[in-house]
Amino acid sequence: MVALSVIVIALLIAGLAFYLFVVGSQLNRIATNLEECAEIVRTVVEHAAVIEPGVEHINRTGGVVAGALPLLYGMAEGIVVGVTPAPAVPVERGPARPASGRRRSRLHDSVGYAPNGNSSNGAHRPRPQPESELPV
Amino acid sequence: MAQVTDLTLSSTQRGLWWGAIIGGFVVVLAVAALLTVLVVLVRTIDQRVVAVRDTLKAAAANTADTALIAQTAAGVEAVLAEGLEHHLFLGRVLGKVRS
Repeated sequence: MVALSVIVIALLIAGLAFYLFVVGSQLNRIATNLEECAEIVRTVVEHAAVIEPGVEHINRTGGVVAGALPLLYGMAEGIVVGVTPAPAVPVERGPARPASGRRRSRLHDSVGYAPNGNSSNGAHRPRPQPESELPV
Repeated sequence: MAQVTDLTLSSTQRGLWWGAIIGGFVVVLAVAALLTVLVVLVRTIDQRVVAVRDTLKAAAANTADTALIAQTAAGVEAVLAEGLEHHLFLGRVLGKVRS
């Protein structure tokens, strides 16, 4: 009975020691991982520290650029308008006509026909007589 | 003559002793069960910590290029300076065109 008591006590101590070893090793591993996590968090914070001032700088400069662009292309349009020659006023052009005038037909002259007493070229046109020379 | 001490237990004492032994064994089993639960929970914590560590590693890798933001800001600043040069040039040309 005494031996059984000793066995029970030894079993309790051995169980406690075993579980203490297991939990201790697990907690050591967790501590190592947590230390690594803390180091990574510090790295992330270090990386993120430059984000805010950099983005503010970009936003400020980009705003200035965006505000200046309309002025720039307004000036460029003014230059284009200034150097572009004004288009000439379009002239209303009629149909093309020969410079020698209307073409003369010689067919009537060849047959001695003079419509209305006028030849086409005026060669056979009777000279108008003055009234004083008219026969009475 | 030496006095002889009687170490024999009475039945009541024997019963109490056995009760203590059995109770101690039960306590050992209960402690083992509770410590098993504790080990399982600590293992879960270990796994979660590993997951957090991996996530933090990914976050660190994602934020590793934030140093380029400063270079980008410098580039935008150079664009602004070049835009000012364009403004001066266009102002001169526009003045000559209008005159």
